[in-house]
Amino acid sequence: MNSAAEKSGKIVNSSNNYIAIESFGVKLSIFSARKDILEEVKDRLSRILPEELFQIISHRKAVHTFSIRSNNSAEFVLFKGRKKITYGNDRENFLKFVDWQIRLTIAEFAEARVFLHAGVVAWKEKAIILPAGSFQGKTTLVKELTKLGARYYSDEYAVLDEEGFVHPFPKMLSIRGLTDKYRQTDYAVETFGGRKGITPVPVGMILLTTFESGAEWDPELLSEGLGVIELLSHTIPIRYNPKFSLKVLNKTVNRAIIVKTKRGEAEEFAVKLLSFFENKAF
Amino acid sequence: MKSSQVPVARKEGLVIQETSEEVLVYDLTSNKAHCLNQTAAFVWKSCDGNNSIPEISKLLENESGSAIHEDLIWLAIDQLNEKNLLEKEMASSFAGRSRREVIKKIGLAAVIALPIVASITAPTSALASTSCACVNPGDCIAQTMCPSTVNCNPSGVCAP
Repeated sequence: MNSAAEKSGKIVNSSNNYIAIESFGVKLSIFSARKDILEEVKDRLSRILPEELFQIISHRKAVHTFSIRSNNSAEFVLFKGRKKITYGNDRENFLKFVDWQIRLTIAEFAEARVFLHAGVVAWKEKAIILPAGSFQGKTTLVKELTKLGARYYSDEYAVLDEEGFVHPFPKMLSIRGLTDKYRQTDYAVETFGGRKGITPVPVGMILLTTFESGAEWDPELLSEGLGVIELLSHTIPIRYNPKFSLKVLNKTVNRAIIVKTKRGEAEEFAVKLLSFFENKAF
Repeated sequence: MKSSQVPVARKEGLVIQETSEEVLVYDLTSNKAHCLNQTAAFVWKSCDGNNSIPEISKLLENESGSAIHEDLIWLAIDQLNEKNLLEKEMASSFAGRSRREVIKKIGLAAVIALPIVASITAPTSALASTSCACVNPGDCIAQTMCPSTVNCNPSGVCAP
């Protein structure tokens, strides 16, 4: 344990104390005096980010800096810049929190991209975006759609370029409830017979849906403007870069149908959804 | 009714995008986004500092080809006031009637859509991408979309 040495100020920051990556033009570093923690953060990167979408860089290039330290009351303390973000003693929970902060930083500051918190699949080269918060069944629905032949793009982020095309962000699917109600387990989409999308595609449909037991498929079509208003709740860089975000959202809804409905069980819903999409978008 | 007032649309500190039928406005000061439907957008665009309320009413009549009650313009102005989309607040007047009463009255007679301004406060990045991940209960307070905002469970999730 290096925390005592760290507290006494004897740790000299060397490049060995850092991991730094660049993803979507965002350069960030994580500092820790503890090698074991740094190694684990590094190992987890390929689970939380698609491997082809980040590269290791020199920590000197980093613009966003995280550091993991210790103090008298907590074994793990996370700082973003100089701001303390969280602290605690549970290693696994702490590292999961670090994972989230890394992804969030990339999603907020990505160059020339707008990240929406959403699941994404593509059907016949047109994307279906499923914006939703956590615990809304995004991953479950994405999984069912890929089982029906839709291409997997993401269960977490719709990554939009300036023309409103959606790019793959095919991280592993994080499925809750297999080991316990709240814990997530990661699976490759191929586990369910699904296949990843590899090229950017235009958005054919934005589906705003929440789970309600026994709910029937009852689609309401929204106007483009109201569609953007709905998407804003899930738009990560909206405060950082509102002008670009709004422009991209506008281009996105311009080509898409925007549908709002409650949904029942994902398996049955996915069939109805694809049938509706086939009729409306092609 | 104070028809002599001349409304001026606010332009500073706003990001404006037009869709095929609506106008989207993002207020950089308040971080609020507004969607103006066609009627509200027409009224807002007509607030150029020259047109009075009766003149805007006339412009909308010409545009829509149907008679427009001045109250419909006031209904738009009332919302634009409320959303801080005018340079100066207009002394909105429905002569003692509530907005609901005016909507009821115009709604029955209106040929064009009533003006509507739908708004939302833009979320912070963390709120837009809530993961419900936590190390201690303090991490859950701001994650308002999670099953719990006060408890960080042993799985490291803001949930019971």
